[in-house]
Amino acid sequence: MTASITKDVNKGYIALLGWSLNAIEAAENFDRRYIVVAPDWAEPYCTEHNIPYLPWNFERLNDRSMEIAEKLHELGVDVAIPLFEETVEWAGAINSVLMDNPRLFGQSMLMRDKSLMKRRAQLGGIRVGIFEEAHDREDVIRFLRRVNQTLLKLDGDPNDPIHFKAFDKAGCLGHRVIRTPDEVDAIPDEEFPALMESHLDGWEFAVEAWVHNGKIVFLNISEYVTLGYSVYVPASPALEEYRPQIRQQIEKLIRTFDIEFGFIHPEYFVTSDGEMYFGEVAYRPPGFKVFELLERVYGFNAYQALILCFDPKATKEEVSAFFPREVVDAKGYAGCFGVYPRRRVVSVLEIPEETESHPYFESHELTAPLQETVTKRTAFGTHWGLVYFVGDDADTLHKLLKHQEELDFYL
Amino acid sequence: MTDAGSENSIDNGGNGAPLHLINKLDQAIALLAGGQEFAKIGKLPRVFDTCRRVLQHENGLALIEARAEALEHAGVFLGSDWAAPQHLVAPLSRHALTGGVDILLIETLSSLRLLAVARGQYQHPLISAEYANHYLTQILAINLDLLFSPADESRRLHQGRLAFLPGALLTHLASHIGYEQIVDKLIDEIWRVLEQRPIETGPVKQMITRIAACQYDPDIALTGAGADRLVSSLFGPTRASREDPGLEAYQERLAAMDEMTLQTEASGFARAMHDTGLVSAYHPLLLLHLLAHQENLLADALGLSSTGRDCMLCYRQLVHALIEQSVTPYTPQAIYGLALMLERGILYQSPLAPALWRQLRLSLCPEAVNRLTLVLPPDVSPETRLMEGVLCMLGQPLGVGQGNNPTCQSARALSMWSCNDPDYLLQMVAWAARDDEIIMHFEGQPVSSRLSDMGVAQTAPVDLDPVSMVVVPHLDRIYAEMGRRCIGRDGDPHRWVNPEFHGWWTGRGFRIGVDVKTGLLFETETFLRHFYASYHPFYNGNQPLIHPQPAGIAVTDSVARFIGWHAVTILRIGLDQENIMRVYFYNPNNDSGQDWGNGVVVSTAGQGERYGEASLPFEEFASRLYIFHYDPLEHGALAAIDADELQRVIVMIQESWGEARLPDVPLEGLLD
Repeated sequence: MTASITKDVNKGYIALLGWSLNAIEAAENFDRRYIVVAPDWAEPYCTEHNIPYLPWNFERLNDRSMEIAEKLHELGVDVAIPLFEETVEWAGAINSVLMDNPRLFGQSMLMRDKSLMKRRAQLGGIRVGIFEEAHDREDVIRFLRRVNQTLLKLDGDPNDPIHFKAFDKAGCLGHRVIRTPDEVDAIPDEEFPALMESHLDGWEFAVEAWVHNGKIVFLNISEYVTLGYSVYVPASPALEEYRPQIRQQIEKLIRTFDIEFGFIHPEYFVTSDGEMYFGEVAYRPPGFKVFELLERVYGFNAYQALILCFDPKATKEEVSAFFPREVVDAKGYAGCFGVYPRRRVVSVLEIPEETESHPYFESHELTAPLQETVTKRTAFGTHWGLVYFVGDDADTLHKLLKHQEELDFYL
Repeated sequence: MTDAGSENSIDNGGNGAPLHLINKLDQAIALLAGGQEFAKIGKLPRVFDTCRRVLQHENGLALIEARAEALEHAGVFLGSDWAAPQHLVAPLSRHALTGGVDILLIETLSSLRLLAVARGQYQHPLISAEYANHYLTQILAINLDLLFSPADESRRLHQGRLAFLPGALLTHLASHIGYEQIVDKLIDEIWRVLEQRPIETGPVKQMITRIAACQYDPDIALTGAGADRLVSSLFGPTRASREDPGLEAYQERLAAMDEMTLQTEASGFARAMHDTGLVSAYHPLLLLHLLAHQENLLADALGLSSTGRDCMLCYRQLVHALIEQSVTPYTPQAIYGLALMLERGILYQSPLAPALWRQLRLSLCPEAVNRLTLVLPPDVSPETRLMEGVLCMLGQPLGVGQGNNPTCQSARALSMWSCNDPDYLLQMVAWAARDDEIIMHFEGQPVSSRLSDMGVAQTAPVDLDPVSMVVVPHLDRIYAEMGRRCIGRDGDPHRWVNPEFHGWWTGRGFRIGVDVKTGLLFETETFLRHFYASYHPFYNGNQPLIHPQPAGIAVTDSVARFIGWHAVTILRIGLDQENIMRVYFYNPNNDSGQDWGNGVVVSTAGQGERYGEASLPFEEFASRLYIFHYDPLEHGALAAIDADELQRVIVMIQESWGEARLPDVPLEGLLD
């Protein structure tokens, strides 16, 4: 039913590390040849649908890492693209072989360790909050106390919270906000070691930046309405005012981390005095379906952009022709809201009528509840699915997304 | 349902789908169509969900039908059974239309596709227009009952806001492929519903109107017995109205009639009315004419027996006032309600007549007017419509239905009050309609419907009789509030709520067959022996039930799977014509004739049931019972039921709703 795209045989193959149907479809619809590297459970699906496929189980890096790199090399693959946090170091290892550049592996390890990442940023002269590593619960309690002493809190004053992030988890997984020593006990063993940071009151946002030849070729600012709940693109005009400063910050980040190509997804804070603090950076597509949101407003496929910026054979002309103009070419604003059940016992999914009948509402990917009792949320955790909105006015969208937090989707 | 009938529930908001929604549907279809074969599965949910939203609008079915070909080409049926329409099996549509939202949606899309094929708008490579037409006929015949009864508990639970869709879909299909193919089955179904004498006759009247259209079509040969009676009862029940002359013409004819002719007309109308429970729009014209010119024939026009006639003569002025306020060609059912109320003799209860005088002069609060507006025929005032509803509820206490709302408790209470304490019912109507507030008392503490939070129902009802429209929202909030006041108590809240909510006659003794904490069966044998001892005439000293008693039922579906807890009223216990002991009960559900699986089929006629009653053999009823009330002071010894009978009941429990509720210890009945 879909006309197939003629593949450019003058270019090499691209390897996609990890299973993402949207990424595969983007690759299929793009002129680059590609191969999917995914665990062997994907094999029947790939065979059935003629998807080029190489089985690989991504566990911790081991002495077989070389094997996959060589296999891909033989197949004519020029570059490996990580689709998930867990495949970032694999991509680094593979690309260091494919491109004969051992530094790429070290760079990927920086991206996988939140503590190393912070130190590197600090070395590069980027502002970060107070942070420390935690190996056990003692460390967390000490840090919580120290931070609050620094803030000149007296005994009995409510603590300022600290953030606790498992070293190697993506996004909000393993991200906890801790206010009291009681909450420390709730952290499971497997989340150590972890990075702890002081809390900054400010405006949190994320950036998606495509990099080619060490230059930013497209920069998007994603505005969070509430961390872990909702995000929209492009950012509101108020946040977009900071674009020049944000761009400078990202350029600094790219220099500091030696990034020549590909895609980065960092998170920042702007405090009330306009100062920017670096949170963290990832070398893979963002969660919360930001790629899909970008496609919705800009019309370009962000996965294809990824392929283009990773491909060493991509030309400068190709790249500049691909991307639209930032902000001005966006048709409206697209955002999504992550739904968490608010009740302890739920039995049905029912999209609130006011949500559904709002002209901005576009679609949702919620499914009926499988279990009746909702597990208590400890970390930011995983939402049960996303609800998508599109509209012309950033302010309306912002309020709409915020309002969803007060509604029950599961009854 | 209202007189406006199912149209009201289809439109669900009063207008067609907005343009932005239609655009979103087309976008979603385009995304699916443009997707790579292997990625289509990820784009399906959006298409289905957008279809679901479109379908909630009045023109939704037509919009989807128009896109049937595009939807199929885009791949909505890909990889499913519906991809091969030539192999679809019509009886399975029953499961789909009564199942959850997902399967209901895909069945709806598929049926609309077949309709597009049948109407020649879509040339399908796999099926012909004739085949599609034949298949849709089968779907209609199999699912006929969904055409006019509102959703039952099972569908309300699984389909939520889409519970109106099966009925709307079938109406849409039928209006395009024609009723003639299914008309005979339709007639049987209408009679089955009418035998329960519902207060809400809107849906039935709509169906009969369609049958009437078939009758006038020379191409259709109606074989089903009873079509004539149904159609004539609405459109021409008497000699002077036989050819459906129109209201104006009939009014003119009335003026020229002598007493003899009027007498014939009066008895003709009365016969038709008592035969079917339906009242023709001509009937009010006659009645009003008689009131002005020939009062002596009123009793004939109402079809009254000596009891009713006597009652009418005693309260002549009141009856006249009631007729003047409530009877119009748009509220004809008031006549039936009035006739049955007079027959019940309840006017002889001294508070009733003054209470009805109050009702006649009641000024309605704006909130009540707003709610009544939803069920208001043209040219009828809210007061008239409410009065019609009051008369119907007093005349047909077992005709109260809960509509498509989870408010079985409130419907049951209204019915019970009408049976047992009609002036209390009128008091409730007055408070709700005049003051927009009802205050009941729970264990000495006032509970106001105004101060209480949400009720059980999340949204205001739209498909109820006028009295329910006004009163149920109040009752529902009070009921829910009483439940909230029991939070934290050990045990099932119905123990305390039922007597306070329904009335003093509800037994303060309470027995529940499941353990509230675990949901497992609890002391099943003792529970049953106790129930027999309290209710079964062979075990309770042949004491007939005095007051209607609330009871709780574990409702099961036609394959005996547990669906949910439901409120019914036990009305009486007695032997039927075959000497089987039966429980006669009232089910606030709109259609009591349900199949509860494993051979337990609730009967509504032919086993000694009065209008509106449902019945089951005592054993079968006991096998679905989980809550009953009794008078603790009259409670004697547990019944010595014979072991076989006890065993049979316990097995029926185990094989139906009790299946997943077996406690670790074996049920006592199995010990020997």
